[in-house]
Amino acid sequence: MTNGNVPQKAPGLWQKVLDRVKTWSRTQSPWLIHFNSGSCNGCDIEILATLTPRYDAERFGVQLHGSPRHADILICTGPVTRQARERLLRTYEQMPNPKFVVAVGACAITGGVFAGCYNVIGHIDEVIPVDVYVPGCPPRPEAIIDALVILLQKLAAGPKIEEAAS
Amino acid sequence: MTTERNLLHAQSILGDLTTDWSQPAPDRYDAFVQPDNLVAVVTTLHQDRWGYLAAITGLDKGPEVGEFEVLYHFCADAAVLTLRVIIDRADPVMPSICGVMLYASPYERETGEMLGITFAGTPDDAWLFLPDDWQSEVFPLRKDAVLNGNGGGDA
Amino acid sequence: MTQPANRKRFTVPIGPQHPALKEPGHFAFDVDGEIVQSASVRLGYAHRGIEKATESRTWVQNLYLLERICGICSHIHATAYCLGVEKLAQVEVPPRAQAIRSLVAELERIHSHLLWLGVAAHESGFDTLFMYSWRDRETVMNILEVMTGNRVHYSANVLGGVKYDVDDQQAATIREGLDFLEERTLHYLEVVSTDSLFLQRTRNIGVMDREAAQLSGVIGPTGRASNVQRDVRLDSPYAAYADHPITPVYETTGDLLARFVVRLREQLTSIDYIRMLLDHLPNSPLTTRMPRRVKAGEAISRVEAPRGELFYYIKSNGGDMPDRIHVRTPTLCNIASVAQLVIGQHLADVPMILVGIDPCFSCNDRTSVICQDGQRDMWDWARLRQYGIDHYGTHYTKDLG
Ligand code: SF4
Repeated sequence: MTNGNVPQKAPGLWQKVLDRVKTWSRTQSPWLIHFNSGSCNGCDIEILATLTPRYDAERFGVQLHGSPRHADILICTGPVTRQARERLLRTYEQMPNPKFVVAVGACAITGGVFAGCYNVIGHIDEVIPVDVYVPGCPPRPEAIIDALVILLQKLAAGPKIEEAAS
Repeated sequence: MTTERNLLHAQSILGDLTTDWSQPAPDRYDAFVQPDNLVAVVTTLHQDRWGYLAAITGLDKGPEVGEFEVLYHFCADAAVLTLRVIIDRADPVMPSICGVMLYASPYERETGEMLGITFAGTPDDAWLFLPDDWQSEVFPLRKDAVLNGNGGGDA
Repeated sequence: MTQPANRKRFTVPIGPQHPALKEPGHFAFDVDGEIVQSASVRLGYAHRGIEKATESRTWVQNLYLLERICGICSHIHATAYCLGVEKLAQVEVPPRAQAIRSLVAELERIHSHLLWLGVAAHESGFDTLFMYSWRDRETVMNILEVMTGNRVHYSANVLGGVKYDVDDQQAATIREGLDFLEERTLHYLEVVSTDSLFLQRTRNIGVMDREAAQLSGVIGPTGRASNVQRDVRLDSPYAAYADHPITPVYETTGDLLARFVVRLREQLTSIDYIRMLLDHLPNSPLTTRMPRRVKAGEAISRVEAPRGELFYYIKSNGGDMPDRIHVRTPTLCNIASVAQLVIGQHLADVPMILVGIDPCFSCNDRTSVICQDGQRDMWDWARLRQYGIDHYGTHYTKDLG
């Protein structure tokens, strides 16, 4: 009986609990989607290496997933080519909120060696907002893991800030 | 030496289909070919099973010279035979060799879109590399292409 | 060039990105029921315009740019470029440098083939093999890191030589790693040729006989699996291959299984070759002087990349920048063969056939299937892959039942 009355008495409480649960589950198993917008594959193979047994990023609950609709984190590699720009945007837009973006590699951050090539229109944060940058050409898997850990902390902190504000 | 033999053999079977020969390196022969003779030359090489087509390179000699040069590199072991075809820059049309060797198709598509050369009769001339929204009048590998730093498709 | 009417077919569908497939590309297939009628290909999602960019960079800067054409076969791109420029500049590279170039190239081949093995296994739904082969691949990565300090872009080449030497301690580490890799490669060879579930997906699938392979112009391991006896390391030796010829590997059956076997056996020859090189490293300096400007002229440089012949055409007009560099990657040759190879095949086999040519890390994360009545159905790669796995899943159960 009392249980049923809780939402009426304190309408914000359920929401808070729910948010906690959501944040908890998000930080326990964030799903990734990887997007290559024109990289040389170097960064991509290092991301894949990060997920395979030696580095095993899955121990943080991270899982690579196929669909942007299920993903929390977008991992981008490479400069943005003219042809890939639209797809990058659409992939980003399809992701549910809250969403986070990790830019991996020198190309993703500044365009790298490809800056100025005619078919390269820029770097990732000219197209979509980026949360964590991982420098390197390519970054070592350890650096990519570090980025994920930083992001997980951010994920854990995110809704709490909202909570404080409300 | 088989390389030498291969090259001499190529020279003998092509004979009068070419206009000129030169030897830039011990393992390379260059053969100058008229655009009209290209298909015949390639057919001869193909029927003789002389090597395989390794690449098609398009060169822009620049607006002052007013010529494109298209190089067909054939390799047989270490020997490389390059057919050099010169065409007018104002009217860049080449015969397609896909009728003889279908695998030339991606090479022709690439050369075509990068330099704006039309390969008459090529089976598929959709863009292979350039983006969908690329301005169709801009050919990136031309020396005078205006690419505006980044891109140039919407210039 | 006129814009063909069918350009609309290439509209990019929104959809999943596939974890194991990196380089974007686009295929469109026409199917009748389950049988593929025709196919067409569109690349260019990763097209950056490197060839044009080379014309406004110096000879040295270009080395680092061209190395980054591909992260998997970066060393071989740099080698092809260096060999070509050195030919133009008429510079003689010391023998030790040439030997180290070959050594790194063979290490790179092992890393690339193991990577491919994993991806191909993943496509067939055999994820255990994927994880194991990638774990073992870390051994090669370690060796490369010990030698050069980098895991991916090793940057071993400079114009006129190489940057890194191999000392005795490193040689010992390399040998130790090679022993482990040899054992594992033999194990994988056994797995791919005896695992009955896996054989179902590879044996007699995507068969290409020698004649067809030659006609469609395939090169590299894909060609050698169909007994096309072409290997630049042998035909036109470069670096250390002139002094120490490599043993080529050919298979005759030309099916997917043969493509697995060829690559794994090539790994074994690479391992032997590296051991041999370590025993016979010549003594000489590592570099010679390179002029800043390169003599006018043109050079052609051909090397055997992990995926097949890589062809560079380099033209200089005497300045400190090249006039034109043309790169023909092996994938461009092989990709055309796919369009022919899949015709008449089951849609379920398409993912494996595409992966079988090792398109530079599978240029195909987008696939659309066009049904015979003209109705178009966009499939993403993950769906096509799943379709293949399910198809074989049900068939196998039926066979058992
Ligand atoms: S940062 Fe380096 S490794 Fe990564 S995509 Fe760019 S060039 Fe390749």
